[in-house]
Amino acid sequence: MAQVNALPRQHRPDPLRALGVVALNGMFDEMDALGVLRHAVEEILPGDVAIVSSFGADSAVLLHMVSKVKKDLPVYFLETGKHFPETLDYVETLKTRLGLTNVIAIQPDPADLKRFDPNGDLWETDPDSCCHIRKTEPLEPITEEYGGWVTGRKRYQTVERGVLPHFELTSDDRIKVNPLAHFSDADVVAYRQEHNLPEHPLYQSGYKSIGCAPCTSVVAEGEDPRAGRWRGLNKKECGIHFDFNGAIAKPMVAVEKHRLFKDGAFIADPFHDWGEGDDAATAHYTHVPLPVFLEHRETFLANPHPLGLLVSPGERIEDVKDDLQRFASVAIKFPAFTDGRGYSTARLLSERYRFAGEIRAVGDVLADQIPLMRRCGVTALVVTHEPTRQALAEGKLAEVAIFYQPVGLTEVPVGTRPYLRRAG
Amino acid sequence: MYRYDEFDAAFVRERTAQFSDQVRRRVSGELSEDQFRPLRLMNGLYLQLHAYMLRIAVPYGTLSSRQLRMLAHIARTYDRGYGHFTTRQNIQFNWPKLKDVPDILADLASVEMHAIQTSGNCIRNITTDQFAGAAADEIIDPRPVAEILRQWSSLHPEFSYLPRKFKIAMSGSPNDRAAIRFHDIGLQAVANPSGEIGWEVWVGGGLGRTPIVGKMINGFVPNEHLLAYLESILRVYNRYGRRDNKFKARIKILVHEEGLETIKGQVEAEFAEMRGGVLTLPQEELDRIAAYFTPPPFEELPATRIDVKREKILDTAYGEWLENNITSHRMPGYASVTISLKPVGKPPGDASAEQMEAVADLAERYSFDELRVTHEQNLVLPHVRIADLRTIYNALVAEELADGNAGLITDMICCPGLDFCALANARSIPIAQSISERFASMTRQKEIGDLKIKISGCINACGHHHVGHIGILGVEKKGGELYQITLGGDATENAAVGKIMGPGFEAEAVPDAIERLVDAYIGLRQNPAEPFIAAVRRLGEAPFKEALYGASERAA
Repeated sequence: MAQVNALPRQHRPDPLRALGVVALNGMFDEMDALGVLRHAVEEILPGDVAIVSSFGADSAVLLHMVSKVKKDLPVYFLETGKHFPETLDYVETLKTRLGLTNVIAIQPDPADLKRFDPNGDLWETDPDSCCHIRKTEPLEPITEEYGGWVTGRKRYQTVERGVLPHFELTSDDRIKVNPLAHFSDADVVAYRQEHNLPEHPLYQSGYKSIGCAPCTSVVAEGEDPRAGRWRGLNKKECGIHFDFNGAIAKPMVAVEKHRLFKDGAFIADPFHDWGEGDDAATAHYTHVPLPVFLEHRETFLANPHPLGLLVSPGERIEDVKDDLQRFASVAIKFPAFTDGRGYSTARLLSERYRFAGEIRAVGDVLADQIPLMRRCGVTALVVTHEPTRQALAEGKLAEVAIFYQPVGLTEVPVGTRPYLRRAG
Repeated sequence: MYRYDEFDAAFVRERTAQFSDQVRRRVSGELSEDQFRPLRLMNGLYLQLHAYMLRIAVPYGTLSSRQLRMLAHIARTYDRGYGHFTTRQNIQFNWPKLKDVPDILADLASVEMHAIQTSGNCIRNITTDQFAGAAADEIIDPRPVAEILRQWSSLHPEFSYLPRKFKIAMSGSPNDRAAIRFHDIGLQAVANPSGEIGWEVWVGGGLGRTPIVGKMINGFVPNEHLLAYLESILRVYNRYGRRDNKFKARIKILVHEEGLETIKGQVEAEFAEMRGGVLTLPQEELDRIAAYFTPPPFEELPATRIDVKREKILDTAYGEWLENNITSHRMPGYASVTISLKPVGKPPGDASAEQMEAVADLAERYSFDELRVTHEQNLVLPHVRIADLRTIYNALVAEELADGNAGLITDMICCPGLDFCALANARSIPIAQSISERFASMTRQKEIGDLKIKISGCINACGHHHVGHIGILGVEKKGGELYQITLGGDATENAAVGKIMGPGFEAEAVPDAIERLVDAYIGLRQNPAEPFIAAVRRLGEAPFKEALYGASERAA
């Protein structure tokens, strides 16, 4: 493996190095996490690799392995300023228990905080930007010091990570090492028990994936563990996992009211409208207009970031039916509430194409049409009309709650249609 | 008749509560007039020239005596003592106060009625043959399917904001009395070669400023797939119908511009996806609904021939009433009675509260409690014993409802016109009145025979002038009212749009002009048995044009 080790660090893609990484992935047994880590630290990147740890619910396993391989491996901890106090305690517990000697806390730039998040509530309106100033920016200068990184990511954690390998090459030619790629939740628990590792104090309270306090919530039994992160925001990955060079949107200074109504509450909307200067290759959390998507389809499909689709009246959802799974959210435009074309689009999406992501109504969204939109499959609403916002917030939509005709996938069995319903 | 169950009753209750809340929010300013308008229209509330107008749905034109009495009560309590029956088998009140509307809706709900979807860009009241369930020439009674369509189309979430209004009519008889070829969708009952009964589907017909005869889009859709097929048509229309121009937004324009084959292709593609899905109508359910429409307990009566000639000698007016206002029934010894709401010199389609109550009494006593509203704005007692006709006639005479002019020249369809309507360019009721006065003589009317005159006060054609054998259209020219005359229209299975004859006439010249057309017809017909419309088809327009614009006549 000396050949791989000897490769120069260069900031342009090297196909040979890429091939080397492919070969590396075949070298280790799926569960040989310690072997992967030892090989990376001692053979591939000696003195040139570090780890970023969140000191979250299952960080102990990887840190335990690190302590087995090299107690003074640099362990960076993103002290975002938004952690649970329990997490900060846990950092100390693990340091002591595992004998880690090189844990380094990195903090956001105070100037950035002052400028972009003076009140400390940016997470609420623009979580992307919050991650950017508290995680991506502080980490960036440090990433440049190393040729590779160890991460604790696991395949099972989210759908998007389903194909995570042990070794990855980033676009800026660094190596990411994922020793736990093949670990399941049960493997983590088993490992922790086997080595009697301390639990994160919040783990027993139902927190399975722990990040900053404001953006973490309890995960239900059987739910995707990371579902508790950025709950309701369609956000599954924070910026630092995408790509060290990933372009993260500039923080929004203007703090607006939440306009996205979903699951019974107005919440922060991670999505942005498609803008003039947006690039198909790097756009993320953007509702791409359907014609723009079709024009740059290949590029969008290669784009690794979460994306949405914007369908306006007159555009045919049929034209993108094979690509729908690419989108986390589809926004249906109602330019005027009297324009009913969006209802057909919503039904096609939810009923015919079984689109399981978010279907949101945008535009002229008013109280009296919302019940119809929901019946047609709309699951989220972007609302600016003040009386409508109030009616939603108070749960006071005047609607007819019984239906004659079956619509959607849930109204079919009972209580909806003129036939097969029981009278009285 | 269909009776509400708990589900239907709860539906109307919730809908009324929802509308009351909408009115409250309009009053408080939460809703702008632009935001409120479509909501009130979908609940039947128009803002007319003088006041609000409330249009109440009479599903497929069927009423019970209890319901008609409630309409009389509403006319007396909240309006000026009368109501106006419309060409879509509904009834409207022209003078209600906004504050009374919730009370009116509550009164209606107590007799299983409502005003839902009588206006707005949604699916409107399903209309059908006024003789459904009684007519001798019927293939099937269309009302059970009409009731299922009523339910399917009520507050349909996908089709509540269509490009424009959408009207469906059905005929269970090959003799079309529901003008199905002039509806957005027309359904004609047919039997396929194996004897199964289904529906011929016609699409894209309509009157208004662009009259078009509908086109057949499917020759046979069985009951079980009818909802899926209609939903397919509605989806294609909702997605592709024009929304850039209100006057080009009906499905007739879409079909006309895209071509029937294109639309048919789109509809069939949708249908292929929906067919056999949740909209499949099980026979048991059709049977369950049909049970509401089982024939009343008719007596076994001997077949009875009415001797009109003899009756005419004994009592001319009664004989003429028998001749024109009685339609043969499928049961021996029974007949259907048309009650004319076209008395000479009165606005067509109007009925006073007292008249409604008298008719309700007759229906209760002599017609198994059933009543119909016709698209020609008359009322019908569908199931009466021939033996009771004289008694019924005498009662109608007392209420001034015994005009024996059904189907004759004075049985006109006429819109409210400039006297009531904000859209109209010209008056239409006074024109109808002057024509009916001119032809008041029953001898003269009988000499003329079957002749349908239809009058609209503007190009929106609510008076169906395009399908009048003689049509009259009021237009505004140089600040005055002029009346264009069309010839040769027909709303039946021989559907045709009338042709404009030439320059319009001033109001006072209209009766003369009609009389010249009539005289020309009488002079040219092969024999008295050749009806006006047949003579027009045989002769073409030339002799009639000449009669209208002969050298002596001053055409404006």
